[in-house]
Amino acid sequence: MVSSPTNVTNGVRPVGSMQTPLHERLALWAFRAPLIFMVLFFAIPMAMTVVFSVFERTMFWMEPGFTLTAYENFFFSARLGNFLNSMKYSLISVAICFVIGFPISVFVRKSIPQVAQHRVVLLFILPFMVSEIIRVFALRPVLQRNGLMNTALTNMGIIDEPITALLYTHTSVVIGEVMSFLPFIIFSGFLAMEAVPKFIFEVCDDLGVGPWRRFKDVILPLAAPGIFAGSVFIFVNGLGVALLPNILGGAGAVNAGLIATQAISALDFPLAMAVSAIMMATLMTLLWIGHKLFDLTKILTPLS
Amino acid sequence: MNEYENPWFHGLKWAYLLLVVLTLMAPVLYVMYISFNANGFGANEYVFTLEWYGLIFSDELLIGALRWTLMLAIVVTLVAVPMALLAAKYYKAADNKLFPVFLLLAPLFVPPDILGSALLVSFKNLNAVFIWIGDGLGTSMFDSWFRLSFLTATIGLIIYTIPYSFVVILITMGRYRKEQTEAARACGASGWRAFWDIEFPQIRAGVFSASAFTVILVFNEYTRTSLLKGGFDTFTTVLISQMLNTGMSPQSYAMSAMISFVAIAAIGGIIILTLIRAEALARIARGKAEPVMS
Amino acid sequence: MTFQTPPAVEVRNLAKHYGDFVALKNVNVTIAAGEYFVLLGPSGGGKTTLLRTIGGFQKPTSGDVFLHGKSVGHLPPDKRPTTMVFQAYALFPHMNVTQNVGYGLKVAGLPKAQIADKVAHALDQVGLTKFAQRKPHELSGGQQQRVQLARAIVLDRDILLLDEPLAALDAQLRKDMCLELKHLQEKVGITFIHVTHNQEEAMTVADRIALIANGDLVEVGRARDIYRAPEKSFTASFVGENNVLKGKVSDANGVSVTVDVAGAKLQVAKRDLPVSTGQNVTLSIRSECVALETVNDSNAPTDGLSMLGAYDESVYLGLTTSHLVRLPDGTEMVSRIIADADDTLPVNGAPVRLRWKPTDIRLHVE
Repeated sequence: MVSSPTNVTNGVRPVGSMQTPLHERLALWAFRAPLIFMVLFFAIPMAMTVVFSVFERTMFWMEPGFTLTAYENFFFSARLGNFLNSMKYSLISVAICFVIGFPISVFVRKSIPQVAQHRVVLLFILPFMVSEIIRVFALRPVLQRNGLMNTALTNMGIIDEPITALLYTHTSVVIGEVMSFLPFIIFSGFLAMEAVPKFIFEVCDDLGVGPWRRFKDVILPLAAPGIFAGSVFIFVNGLGVALLPNILGGAGAVNAGLIATQAISALDFPLAMAVSAIMMATLMTLLWIGHKLFDLTKILTPLS
Repeated sequence: MNEYENPWFHGLKWAYLLLVVLTLMAPVLYVMYISFNANGFGANEYVFTLEWYGLIFSDELLIGALRWTLMLAIVVTLVAVPMALLAAKYYKAADNKLFPVFLLLAPLFVPPDILGSALLVSFKNLNAVFIWIGDGLGTSMFDSWFRLSFLTATIGLIIYTIPYSFVVILITMGRYRKEQTEAARACGASGWRAFWDIEFPQIRAGVFSASAFTVILVFNEYTRTSLLKGGFDTFTTVLISQMLNTGMSPQSYAMSAMISFVAIAAIGGIIILTLIRAEALARIARGKAEPVMS
Repeated sequence: MTFQTPPAVEVRNLAKHYGDFVALKNVNVTIAAGEYFVLLGPSGGGKTTLLRTIGGFQKPTSGDVFLHGKSVGHLPPDKRPTTMVFQAYALFPHMNVTQNVGYGLKVAGLPKAQIADKVAHALDQVGLTKFAQRKPHELSGGQQQRVQLARAIVLDRDILLLDEPLAALDAQLRKDMCLELKHLQEKVGITFIHVTHNQEEAMTVADRIALIANGDLVEVGRARDIYRAPEKSFTASFVGENNVLKGKVSDANGVSVTVDVAGAKLQVAKRDLPVSTGQNVTLSIRSECVALETVNDSNAPTDGLSMLGAYDESVYLGLTTSHLVRLPDGTEMVSRIIADADDTLPVNGAPVRLRWKPTDIRLHVE
């Protein structure tokens, strides 16, 4: 499909140069079209956030210029604290997702017959069949003061007083993040476990390696690229999905996504762009570190 | 399953897995539950009814939004899935895989509000640039190209859904052997014919799954759509405005439940169908000559 | 082959580079119409690359391919008069045997009835008539390869390329299929070009063999010549079980040359090769041509057609037994003898003499 240009050696005429027919050249470009589209409408807009973030703010829009006002607005206000705080809770969500979700990936790979594995994993996309906003919104009646959770806990006699801290707090945002993003650590863990051949488990049994050492010394290093990718996904989305703090969070539960959308509602476009640029920088740094550490293209090697 | 493992322990792991699925599904089931209550959300009394499902179609706001959503879903699927297919084929043949992988998977990692904001501002600027060019040329034909509209929402949603289609298609392509394409070429088929006759039938399941997935993602996406759409409403933007103001109407619950019923039926159907087909194939294979190579 | 008919395949100065890796360097080869031609060589040597370039699956970096006298370098596989049989996995899994075999005809747009006739005939030729309705995964490996053969010959193209067609089969089946291939080629009369790393397979089917290694065409010749009288020392080391000895020429005047090998002076026919005294050369003797003699105390001076060494061990191979003998300089030589196993073997370390006929030793100059 895609051929590299032939080079001329020893003055012998390269055969491939005998004028490629038009439809073949068109086909070659068709295969590149998706990438060109992604560069034009994804890579360039994301890179341009840096440029737009230093534009001057006007009443309803912005104009070309150079000012760091937007960054001042971000770094010298409560926004920075909120942002760092949301990083902390996002990390907590990543940890919870990993602890709950990764064992499932291992279990599916290890103990379920090959043919059924994909179908079991498919179970975890069922929640996506309903819009995230509805799923998040439905958590409100579950977590509120006289909601499902408190009622259940009171009836079981575990608590006397309803826990009010369940909703409109950081806790509820973390719960929302885990509910929304848990499937992703299972998917990426599942892909990552492709790098762990099944016989490894038998070898470990044969050598008498216990489950903990097996996990730490064998599974974790092999599955690291996938686990890392899944964790970055959850971490960044925890920072960037405005919906969660918007619906579940209380005062102070403000993440980067919410800052950006609030800035857009307030017509402060340079601030929104500054936040986007900061998020992109965070993401790129994480992905770059990940790539240096584990070579992230490995995630897809089982597929190619 | 390890034959020496305690079956109870194995069962326990399964129970845990299903418990997690159930927990994740709980909000969905809850919405379904509410959708059948005559008294709506939050009422003390539960009376089963199908009334709200009937009312969906008389709710013009909802139906109008649904029409837009459906159009978006169809257009995005028709563009994004073939693009993902082309990209997957490009990726398979590429020498340098890092660049296409990065470009095609990166949108997964960019949170919705960030992607939405960045595209919104880019489109607004692009629009300004196009109007300026138009003014320079004395024409107004470029004026509306990148004004927020159906088109900009479509572009945003394509970027959002392409990674999912790409991965799904790549997974199904993993089982395809390129020797078959070469054999078809050796039989005299052109490149396109070989793809259509030989490769496509074998990756069809992946393409259809990717399409189904894309439709569902577009239906359920809120942030990117709401930031990039023009003057129209989609299903999720109606829901959000209801939620944040008066609370969701019972028809909206019914609509959400209905969409999830359809979606779950579709996915469940795919699972069951592939299960049955795989079983049938395995049975035939067992019955006849022993397969040596697959 | 007359003057008017151009050769079926002519490869001129063909080279193929993958970045820094050179898969083929400047290969020239001519294959006559109706010939069964085998490309033999170690894996990674470039033989498959050559075949795939002839078939149009790879574009050469430089050089050209002529099929029936016409340059085809710019043509894709489907526009060439060639067709191909692959190692494995090349059957269309979603089609049954009939559909697989008929696919090329369907693409060519033949009427259905004619397709059915031709497919039936092709399946008959490969003995698969009974399996016409099966899917590929319901066939054994040998049957799958026969389907591939039928799919190729049904097209009536005049050059058939076979890329390690038997490599995935077990040894016995491979032997049977080899003969079938040979007979099929004689029956249909088209040019077969067959890639393999298995020399027995090559000897069975080939009219001529080309030896390919390290991207180079080492030697071309009839199977018998390649085996009995290899020109190059590589051929000698790859085909058959040859003893390859390195030595230095001490006398090159006359029809035979004297070479110093591990202290012995060996005589070998010069064959008009350009050798001069003091040159490093290689000698080869097939192991089955080397006779083993026990030596008593008479360490008689050598006659130029034998060497002395220490007996090492024997390897019993059923039909033959290989006797390993260590020369004074440490080189190991093998004498292979049809086994009459009960003979008492020399003890380990015992002095033995290896002897051969003057026609069995060959000189290689590179």
